[in-house]
Amino acid sequence: MKAADLVDSSFGTIDRRIFWDPAIYELELERVFARSWLFVAHESQIEEPGAFVTTYMAQDSVIVARADDGAINVFLNSCPHRGNRVCFADSGKGRAFTCNYHGWAFGLDGALKKMPKMGLYKSTPGFRMEDWGLRRARVASYKGLVFATFCEEAPSLEQWLGDFRWYLDAVLDVEDGGTEFLPGGATRSVMRCNWKFPADNFVGDIYHALWTHLGGAEPTLGRHGGVIVENDGSYQVSVNGHGWEFNDSFFGNAATMGDRELLRYMRSRQEAITARLGDFRAKMWGSVASATIFPNFSFLPGYFTFRTFQPKGPTTTEIHAWTLVPRNMPDDIKDRFRRGSMRTFSPSGILEMDDGENWEHSTSANAGWVTRNQKLCYAMAPAGEVERDDLPGEVTAGQLSDANQRLFYKRWAEMMDAESWADIPTTGSDAQFSEAAE
Amino acid sequence: MSTALDRKPDYSTFPRLSLEEARAAAADLLAMKGAGAPVEGQMLGRIERFYRQEARILDEERYEDWYDLLADDLFYWMPLRENRFRRDSRSELDPDSMAFFDESKADIAVRIGRLKSNLVWTEDPPTRHVYIVSNVEAFETGVDGEFETHHVFTQYRNRSEHDEATLFGRRRDLIRAVDDGFQIVRRLILLPQSVLSTKNLSVFF
Repeated sequence: MKAADLVDSSFGTIDRRIFWDPAIYELELERVFARSWLFVAHESQIEEPGAFVTTYMAQDSVIVARADDGAINVFLNSCPHRGNRVCFADSGKGRAFTCNYHGWAFGLDGALKKMPKMGLYKSTPGFRMEDWGLRRARVASYKGLVFATFCEEAPSLEQWLGDFRWYLDAVLDVEDGGTEFLPGGATRSVMRCNWKFPADNFVGDIYHALWTHLGGAEPTLGRHGGVIVENDGSYQVSVNGHGWEFNDSFFGNAATMGDRELLRYMRSRQEAITARLGDFRAKMWGSVASATIFPNFSFLPGYFTFRTFQPKGPTTTEIHAWTLVPRNMPDDIKDRFRRGSMRTFSPSGILEMDDGENWEHSTSANAGWVTRNQKLCYAMAPAGEVERDDLPGEVTAGQLSDANQRLFYKRWAEMMDAESWADIPTTGSDAQFSEAAE
Repeated sequence: MSTALDRKPDYSTFPRLSLEEARAAAADLLAMKGAGAPVEGQMLGRIERFYRQEARILDEERYEDWYDLLADDLFYWMPLRENRFRRDSRSELDPDSMAFFDESKADIAVRIGRLKSNLVWTEDPPTRHVYIVSNVEAFETGVDGEFETHHVFTQYRNRSEHDEATLFGRRRDLIRAVDDGFQIVRRLILLPQSVLSTKNLSVFF
């Protein structure tokens, strides 16, 4: 079975079995996750030497640690002796990671440093300390976001993100000083759904908001309010499977948090952000929008929730979420974003609460034997002209469309069917993206 | 029945703590360690009855009645839990950190507005709830008519065919005696889970 046979990305049909089949999931771990650059941390989470967080790259537990020289190392959180986890804290600070089982101790770079009764190993022919460190990943950052991959053949992170970086700057580079994650670790929750449903929702499905989120949007948007979602002045863009759907409303997403002070602050920043990024990207900052960096790292402009959809099996996904803000933003405004993103997009959020229900039941209903033989419809492609020819990536006019989702699954199928990275097409160079004309 | 929760009210006029007031309330909750004189006898009985009644109101999804049990100066907080080493000197429960709930009364009103919209497909057909409240302790605070309480809860939810969630937790309250009972002034909700085992918290605690 070829993945390309399960996905028709031109008209837009998808075989339902990709959302629950254990064999497909196993192949995803190998062909998609283990070959992708995966988000692991924001640099602000591990500022000091010795600071670390633990997270997952697909189902592989990893440690992300800041070394004494300032470098960020990512390595497996599994002792090469018997396999036990070596770190059970979500975050912290230390000099070494010591396995609970036999006491093997590893440094901030993952190297094996010592163990009890080292003489037993020193007198073991062929044993070398340097052979038994925690396996290290390749690590690279883009404007504060740290990614890692264990795949030596994968292109650089710059190539992987490609021209999507130009759009990412609309949330990562709106002012000097960069960004940070608000403190306190990740908001984590379990959903009984396939990881691709939330990922495809964020890559290009604003359409669901018009129905799923009616109840959550009603109390915050005022008596005659409402977020306008139209295909005039809105877009979908896709690069290497990454996708962003957005309009030009500047703070349309943020408005649903129902905090007028926050909107007043955002408005006060518009001129400066426009001067920095140009009018087109400035209007993306908090607009009605959502995005996924392939395969499972997503965010929402305006709420600035950034989240990974961590696969835990074909029908189980953990959401790990953080809130990103410009580092130099006033503390009071940061706190308003903290509370605003919590009240909308967290497990208690008046908008997120209605999403899990859809993804769980889409996953379970797709498994029926007769049900699975009817393809799912990803065909929405309303006619429309892109009026600008200077925008990077594959650009579609109108955010109400399945265009990005089709391209997400096209990318998914390419990676699933490719024997090696040489068979996976990647657009864009590793050169710093030249500023598009504004 | 509260008239304050009419369809699409202006929530900006609803009771809301300033950031400083919320931080002060959080500090008070964190300092509550049962240091006051224990409340016994008839008053403890009244307090326990109040919690049984609150649990039943939430079971029955009488959210507007529950809203009336909240004081206007409410601070309602469910922080995240993180796994940290014992040697870690950072305070685990930090009001600057992300939370599941960090609310004034106005924010609760918005949540009830969502549930009342009749547009919440996640709650239609409705969830069936069972709350159990136990281990109730109450202490004098030094303020007449205000009591510090500590108690535990089990909250079971079931809806549709197999959707269910069981959450255990501990609550720490400041309650205030009013004419016909009590109002909740401050509430700290501590779930033991660092990874929430359910897809949503479309409930109150």
